[in-house]
Amino acid sequence: MTNSSPEIAELISRCALRDRSAFRDLYGRTSAKLFGVVLRILKDRAEAEEALQEVYVKIWQRADRYVQGGYSPISWLVAVARNHALDILRARKPVSDDIDMALDIADGGPDPEQATIDKGERNRIDACLATLEDDKADCVRGAYLEGFSYEELATRHGVPLNTMRTWLRRSLLKLRECLSA
Amino acid sequence: MSLGGEHSGGFEDDRVLVAEYALGLLEGGERALMAHRIATEPALGAEMRVWRERLATLDGEFAETPAPAGAFGKIERRLWGEAARPAKWWNSLAVWRWATAATAAVAVLAVGFNVVTPRPDARALATQLVAALQANEGSGVEFVALYDQVSGQVRITSLSGEALAGKDYELWYIKGDAPAVSMGVLPINQKREIPLDAAAKAGIAAGTTLAVTLEQKGGSPTGVAQGPIVAVGKITPI
Repeated sequence: MTNSSPEIAELISRCALRDRSAFRDLYGRTSAKLFGVVLRILKDRAEAEEALQEVYVKIWQRADRYVQGGYSPISWLVAVARNHALDILRARKPVSDDIDMALDIADGGPDPEQATIDKGERNRIDACLATLEDDKADCVRGAYLEGFSYEELATRHGVPLNTMRTWLRRSLLKLRECLSA
Repeated sequence: MSLGGEHSGGFEDDRVLVAEYALGLLEGGERALMAHRIATEPALGAEMRVWRERLATLDGEFAETPAPAGAFGKIERRLWGEAARPAKWWNSLAVWRWATAATAAVAVLAVGFNVVTPRPDARALATQLVAALQANEGSGVEFVALYDQVSGQVRITSLSGEALAGKDYELWYIKGDAPAVSMGVLPINQKREIPLDAAAKAGIAAGTTLAVTLEQKGGSPTGVAQGPIVAVGKITPI
């Protein structure tokens, strides 16, 4: 793979130093992934293209906020794209700067080992999702990967909205216990 | 560490809210409120990290889809298109001409004490360049750089900012699309004269960007900036 973490991290750093060629390179290597993210969540090509442009403007402007050795760089980029798509989906416009500040907090702490444990974590979240009933695990995946709201999930599973909330909240607590076990 | 204080259910309620936020289930005001709490309450920030790190392992399931042709051109136009940047006081030539006139007056006083008084050199004044490195994202670190092409030295003065234990500020110049080049580590709260090598002399001109990053003690060991940018500014002829 050409998209190794250190290379992407270096490109983000160079963007922070206002290196436009690095930005072009970063776009070339990551735009298919980020377009995949916004398209899957927004489910509308024109809207997804607009969102993609806004996401890269944000990445250029906020590149200095990415902390090397913290989050895996591609996860950080995906989180920026996913948050932006959710903003559009939930409110049709960004709610507030706090959404981005919350992203910084989540990325900010020193956690040098994080990037290397991705594979182990992958197995763990799969294992933990497997401890949930199938339809509840589907709800968690649907919320994260498709951006489904409680309402959409309730409709899809043919249950009342409040039932879906109760179900999913219980499942999230169970999942949380499993993830930290 | 308790997330929810003493009242019963608070801990679990907050845990569920962070999980709902991380999954994107909250909407409108609830989503904005939770974003604010996560950004401002360290315990919730830590909880958010747990979810984000674990959930990020699902990111592989987002299938790569080639972005529409022409999207990058639109991004470039959004970022650097015709739109005029709002003028800042430090970009005002009048301010810098005034500042240089003041500097020149001081210089005249200073040379008055020399045994041999050099002839006023109009060319030297004409080739001075300045950059105001304004604080980035509220870092509170600011520098002013003055480059004299005749002496080939950059005089950089720290205006504000604090020295941080175990860290150093490092100066870089960025010319066009080339990677940033280090000009060395900077002391805080003092002046520093940096003699430039031939490559830097060729690289530094009006339009070049100067940036200061926060690096490990002694500066970045790799020659590539690793820390956050704390101050940045463009070089302007006076």
